[in-house]
Amino acid sequence: MDNTLSSTLIWMVIIGMGLTNFAFRFTPLAILSRMDMPEPIMRWLSFIPISVMGALFAKTILLPSLEYVGEVPLFANPGIWGGIGAMIMFRLTKSFMISSVFGVVVYVLLRFMLGM
Amino acid sequence: MVCAAARLRATILPMSKSTIDTTLPAHEVIAAPVHDGTSADFSRGMKLGMPIFLGYLPVGTAFGILANQYGFSLLAALVCSGTALAGAGQFIALATLAAGGNAVTALIACAVVNLRYVLFSATLSPYVSSIRLGPLSWIAYTLTDESFAINTADMRSGKCSARSMAGVGLIAYIGWLLGTALGWMFGTWIGDPTRFGIDFAMAAMFSALFVALAENTKQVLCGILAGTLVCGLWFASRAGVAIDQNWFIIIASLAAATIALFIFKDDASAPVTSAQDAEIVLTEEEDRG
Repeated sequence: MDNTLSSTLIWMVIIGMGLTNFAFRFTPLAILSRMDMPEPIMRWLSFIPISVMGALFAKTILLPSLEYVGEVPLFANPGIWGGIGAMIMFRLTKSFMISSVFGVVVYVLLRFMLGM
Repeated sequence: MVCAAARLRATILPMSKSTIDTTLPAHEVIAAPVHDGTSADFSRGMKLGMPIFLGYLPVGTAFGILANQYGFSLLAALVCSGTALAGAGQFIALATLAAGGNAVTALIACAVVNLRYVLFSATLSPYVSSIRLGPLSWIAYTLTDESFAINTADMRSGKCSARSMAGVGLIAYIGWLLGTALGWMFGTWIGDPTRFGIDFAMAAMFSALFVALAENTKQVLCGILAGTLVCGLWFASRAGVAIDQNWFIIIASLAAATIALFIFKDDASAPVTSAQDAEIVLTEEEDRG
């Protein structure tokens, strides 16, 4: 099957994507940073980073595990152990680099050992 | 009348000319804008962003391989990665086109996935009020899940600056573009590198970042709530509720932060940034009114 797309279509999408993404990223940063935001909004925003991280953790680590519920026990899941390993490593070293690499090593080794 | 809830208070140990008034309401201290920083801060940012580089390299490669298969020229693949800088968004756009969608449906699909950038951008906005629009546009341009995560965590250290954020952005950008180029050029030989699981670097980094941001009980509970909501949404979508996976992050984050706002009255635990070289020590203190 030929997957090839037309070059016009490709460039239209590239340009459109570049413009929307920049608008999404730049507009709030540029406009809101020049305004005084009311206290409740600031408090609300203070909860966003941890919420995003909790959500990303669930999406990248828990959801792939949930796919296998019933087939593979949760404790035998490389993703969960890789995540826990990275968390412990961060507590010990305070380095994102060391903890990410450690998490990957745990994940890749476990996957290899479990033959996944 | 002050309620007896534990309140997080920023105690500033003056190291230089820094004079942040500690009697200000906590949120005002916390929203102190980041400073410009020095060139040393720029390289510090690049170092800080190295895990992003590691994670983007294999995922960028995967994108390069796909782009090549779908008839993108090398130039088109690089311009696409270099202007969109949107992992999931780019894959979705590609998948929509591959499934026979037109440009409009591909762009809408991509925009839906990337709507979370609006939220990230708004969240960072109180901290960048002193940054000029030029550097600010680079920080915005390189705003992704990962750079947002690293920068918000870094703000807690009080060392985050415009230049360190620019450095984080640059190293991430290089990783994404380099990956795209490698995938496009050598994809047929090396194959998809994500099959070895090295793209787990992103997931591992999010785990570490969760710990970095989890500085008090309220924040931890809020994060766990968001994670639980994502799992709940997943079960709901499995059970037939029509919610696309790409909405999970934004729905869960907005809902968790809103619930936390109403449950936890007196919170002040946003990333702390100082305008000057102040060392900020956070102390949990019981407010007895």
